[in-house]
Amino acid sequence: MKMKNPEIELIKNGKRLDGRNLDELREIKMEVGVLKKAAGSAYVEWGKNKVLAAVYGPRSLYPAFLKDPTKAMLRCIYNLAPFSVDDRKKPGPDRRSVEISKVSTEALESVVMTERYPNSVIDVYTEILQADAGTRCTALTAASLALANAGIPMKDLVAACSAGKVSGEVVLDPMKEEDNYGDADLPLAIIPRRNEVVLLQLDGRLTREEFDRAYQLAFDGALKVYEMQKKTLQDAMKKSAVVGD
Amino acid sequence: MFRVKNNEFVIPGQLVGTDIRHDSNCFREGGNVYSSVQGLARIEDNTLKIIPSSGGYTPKEGDVVIGVVKDVLHGKWLVDIDASYPATMDGEEVTRNPQRVDLRDYFRVGDILSAKIFSVDEIHASKLGRPSKLEGGYIININPKRVPRVIGKNKSMVNMLREKTNSRIVVGQNGRVWINSANTAFVVSVVRKIEREAQTSGLTDRIEKLLNNA
Repeated sequence: MKMKNPEIELIKNGKRLDGRNLDELREIKMEVGVLKKAAGSAYVEWGKNKVLAAVYGPRSLYPAFLKDPTKAMLRCIYNLAPFSVDDRKKPGPDRRSVEISKVSTEALESVVMTERYPNSVIDVYTEILQADAGTRCTALTAASLALANAGIPMKDLVAACSAGKVSGEVVLDPMKEEDNYGDADLPLAIIPRRNEVVLLQLDGRLTREEFDRAYQLAFDGALKVYEMQKKTLQDAMKKSAVVGD
Repeated sequence: MFRVKNNEFVIPGQLVGTDIRHDSNCFREGGNVYSSVQGLARIEDNTLKIIPSSGGYTPKEGDVVIGVVKDVLHGKWLVDIDASYPATMDGEEVTRNPQRVDLRDYFRVGDILSAKIFSVDEIHASKLGRPSKLEGGYIININPKRVPRVIGKNKSMVNMLREKTNSRIVVGQNGRVWINSANTAFVVSVVRKIEREAQTSGLTDRIEKLLNNA
């Protein structure tokens, strides 16, 4: 994935290609309850990323041998739409999306109280409509909003953010150009209330000092995302309460 | 000590109090109590209750639900009550000898009934009883968490609806509403309005006005 492209200057006078500072997030928009037929849903725009998350269930799990009478099964599916990237993506699960589905499921499992719904399954579908680096963080953020919107008991929300290394500098929330021509990418998902890490991956190389810096940047970024998630959920409830006159 | 005010909106993971009495929509970690769902916080009898604003139906003993017969088995029926768990009704509910008579004489696949949930086991599988068949009419689905508002205090809302529109209405705790009326479309629109505005105050008066003007 990592390419060298000496023609593009990714960081100029401490500013990035899109004018951001090194420790600045892209603009994030969140909305919940966007799908009528789903139990819960969320739509998140994170820079040029556009992600739709839908929750179905808890519902009966088939094939029946997968049923667990002590807890519900959680299935989070990450899917890149064929039109989400520059070169058309071949539809269907591939090595990368299966991996992201797995790690997202495990991240969400640490907050969802699955023991409340024995023998059933909770399906979370995250569809990437437009991709611009950091999609797994966007998807996870949207997924936890959708789960809250579906009324599924959770111990906390999951907030995610990534950091990376571009032209030798550690930056927060890399966008596509920085991801493609950068040196490293570090997605991180946390449970903010207990400061626990539920997802941490690293693509590329970082020194110990760079890692610490990137980790701290991503962590602080995720906390900002968490505040936005809280506000989105609160606002949505207030809005539904004053419908009418 | 409560960390939220009465009628405040809470979200999952929000600290709602320390060393307080709480319902099953909260969880405790050490002395701290957190909400596990999004909804409205209510402080009643020194206990914190969270009224969830969304979520599916989980069967509860004593609830009256509206079911659709899914299958006729040996001596019992399998009933769909719009929960993710199976509900069955024993043939004994309608006859002394369910093994000998044809249960199809009472309920066939696709029949609609209202029944009480007699028991729920540890994996939420429920048993229904005291069925009554609902013939004709239509079923609509509403958010199960907003059913109490459609029923109203001491059934005030649903009784008002029944009288003013001269229709037969059964509201199931599972979010199904059965309507048999000369003007179904109007009743549906009123029920939808109640569902939409469930969390607003002065709703009964507004609905009464709407029904009087119709």
